[in-house]
Amino acid sequence: MTALSPRLQMQNIKKSFGPVQVLNGVSMDVMPGEIVALLGSNGAGKSTLMKILTANYSKNAGDIRVNDQLVDFQTPRDASRVGIRFLPQEISVFPELTIAENICMSAESTGPVNWSDMASRAELVLDDLGFGQLDPQTLVNDLPVAERRIIEIARALEGQADILVMDEPTASLSEQESEQIFIILRRLKERGTSIVYISHYLKEVFEISDRIVVLRDGLNSGEFDPHKAEVSEVVSAMLGKVSGSMFEDRPPLPEQSDVVLSCSGLTQPGVIENVCFELRTGEIMGVFGLIGSGVEVLGRLIFGAEGRPEAGSLMLNGAAYTPISPLKGKQAGIGFVTAERKTDGIMADMSVRENLVAAFQADFGGKMLTSPARENEHTTDWIDRLGIKTAGPEQAIRFLSGGNQQKVCVARWLNPKVKVLILEEPTRGVDVGARKDIYRQLVAFAREGLAILVLSSDVEEIAGLSDRSMVIDRGRIIETFEAGAAPSDLMSASAQPS
Amino acid sequence: MSQSAQTNSLVKRLFGGSGVGTTVLILLVFYVLLLVVFSFLSPFFMTVRNMTSISSNIALIGLMAAAGTPLIIAGGLDLSVAAVAGLTGVIIALLHAAGIPIWFAVLAAIAVAVVVGIVNGILATYLRLNPLIVTLATMSIVTGVSLILTGGLSKPLLVDGFNWVGQGRIAGIPVPALLMLTVYIGLWLMMQKTHFGRYAFAVGGNPDASRLIGLPVDRTQITLYVMSAVSGALAGTVLAAMLGAAAPNAAGPHLLTVIAAIILGGTSLQGGRGSVWGTLVAVLILGTLNNGLTLMNVTSFWQDVTRGVVLILAVGFDGLRQRMA
Repeated sequence: MTALSPRLQMQNIKKSFGPVQVLNGVSMDVMPGEIVALLGSNGAGKSTLMKILTANYSKNAGDIRVNDQLVDFQTPRDASRVGIRFLPQEISVFPELTIAENICMSAESTGPVNWSDMASRAELVLDDLGFGQLDPQTLVNDLPVAERRIIEIARALEGQADILVMDEPTASLSEQESEQIFIILRRLKERGTSIVYISHYLKEVFEISDRIVVLRDGLNSGEFDPHKAEVSEVVSAMLGKVSGSMFEDRPPLPEQSDVVLSCSGLTQPGVIENVCFELRTGEIMGVFGLIGSGVEVLGRLIFGAEGRPEAGSLMLNGAAYTPISPLKGKQAGIGFVTAERKTDGIMADMSVRENLVAAFQADFGGKMLTSPARENEHTTDWIDRLGIKTAGPEQAIRFLSGGNQQKVCVARWLNPKVKVLILEEPTRGVDVGARKDIYRQLVAFAREGLAILVLSSDVEEIAGLSDRSMVIDRGRIIETFEAGAAPSDLMSASAQPS
Repeated sequence: MSQSAQTNSLVKRLFGGSGVGTTVLILLVFYVLLLVVFSFLSPFFMTVRNMTSISSNIALIGLMAAAGTPLIIAGGLDLSVAAVAGLTGVIIALLHAAGIPIWFAVLAAIAVAVVVGIVNGILATYLRLNPLIVTLATMSIVTGVSLILTGGLSKPLLVDGFNWVGQGRIAGIPVPALLMLTVYIGLWLMMQKTHFGRYAFAVGGNPDASRLIGLPVDRTQITLYVMSAVSGALAGTVLAAMLGAAAPNAAGPHLLTVIAAIILGGTSLQGGRGSVWGTLVAVLILGTLNNGLTLMNVTSFWQDVTRGVVLILAVGFDGLRQRMA
């Protein structure tokens, strides 16, 4: 292989979004017929690097070479013309079209459709992948998820892809189904296709890749040979030195505490499977999971935002509780802070005051009338206590920074009626200063008697913030840590396929 | 600078919402300009008689647009309002002809409007159907029912006391105008001072967030669909009283003006922003424009063109505001 020159070289790539430097000079290369695994924890820069490669983002500095030719893509189409294809984590097929139509879908096709030609081209590619048994006339809607993924790969190959970038291709697949994908990857490798493979499942990475490239904080932090390296070496390259500075010493857990929420056998088919745990007053329970593991659904399911779960029994404050709707969840004493502030967290045009009192607005003022004066008093109080940076309670919330918006979203639920607070990705898109504030305040609220459930794909957040933690994967709780867990414990647990 | 900030906050307090106050101010200035220009162009414009006649027409459109404004703020849309106005007159006339006391007939017609509003609301919320299509369909159904009930003919409706609602005056001001003003003040108080009004802004501004906060999203919207239908019924009552007859199709042509007024008044089609005062000033502008053009002998065909252009401009400004925000 040393005689060959790299198919793809990326050198010293830099990228910043506003003041935030995301890539600080990252390099990687891929040989023909090589599978390179690209690893890194959340925010390491993997996605940004791949989006630059496929020209979804422009780079600030650095060179990209394909077959030793310097390239400068302006649009994703330019990248696809030289044979670079990106398969995102969410499978992007057209379910209402046939396999043949999906495979032959291309921006380059012009003129009338030649159906027979299309079918034979699709058949050829499928044969090549070892899936000749699939009928090109089948609607993609009728295929299982794994085969949809295969159709997506076939489409890339039909488009003469030489460099395939795959983001978590097995995230929603069972182990058996993943095996099908691996078979295809090995075939592609034999044909000389270069593959960049992004995955959190370390076992898979060690099984399939020829080389492991690790990024951390926008820099290269290690390169490993999967046949020689230890899993722990790779994990520590991903996480680096643990910076304890984000989390301060905390008061001990209360000696005696009551179970406020217990959950057993909670199931929503295909998303959450048989989840059981108990949450006590005064503690922060963390749930760590990768995107697609169920971590983004569990909190919503308990709160009621996903409707009635298929199975499971929950007890809240000693009474049976069935999640039905957010309104019922709220009335039962649960508060919920969403991961997606912009889409389902804030009312952007409304003021800080109106946003902050929204959940328990009826507590202020009379039966019908609002009382802006009392709302104002309450809001000013929380602005002081949480250090929310705003021109005042009447400022429209969209002018606040992400961290300050988040504080408003948390303050919204700080009401004596709320006994359990569920937070999804509590510091996503939050600057470092505000992040530290939020962590400190959450610990304080817990110790004052609130029970807090934090769900996050940020491993350091869960490790640093939680009194107890769980790891979720493919909808199941696969490990529980009764005392504090280190980030590497959580990461290793989630990297073992169930 | 502090003084301008002060005026700005006063404007905000009066008109509510961010940036809406400015829109209302600009519209007011435009309205005054329009009055001045038409006064110069036509000697008949600035007369008591003409102003009274404008005001009745404006009251009709204003009533139909009244509750439509909070509804669009809350993320809904009601195209059936003018059809409901037509049906209201028809029901009053038919029930009265059947010997039912006139005010009971009015109440019955309003009850029918409530039913239409509930149907619109349920289809648009629980069943998640597109409000544009839903209310377009109910518009067609309601109009059809009016035509079936009357055979397409106008029904005379001359009852002392009842006709006063459309033709009478209090202290020289036409009753329809006073009725409209009352409705607007009521809606303004509702939007600015009550929990319900706040929910309407929240639900329109971000329905997903509102649902996650546990606000009554569907109930708020359904209530507003009902209010919109009722404000259509009030307009229909006034129209029938004004004309002394129930004409099944009399209100229909005003629908476009109603929607144009709401949008021109600064209420965002995306929901979450707007004010009833903006709608009121926009109704004044559109009504005056209509009247002024008539006085200048511009045919009604050209007025259709004007209305369409104004609607596109209004939506264009709305889009521009969205991008600026």
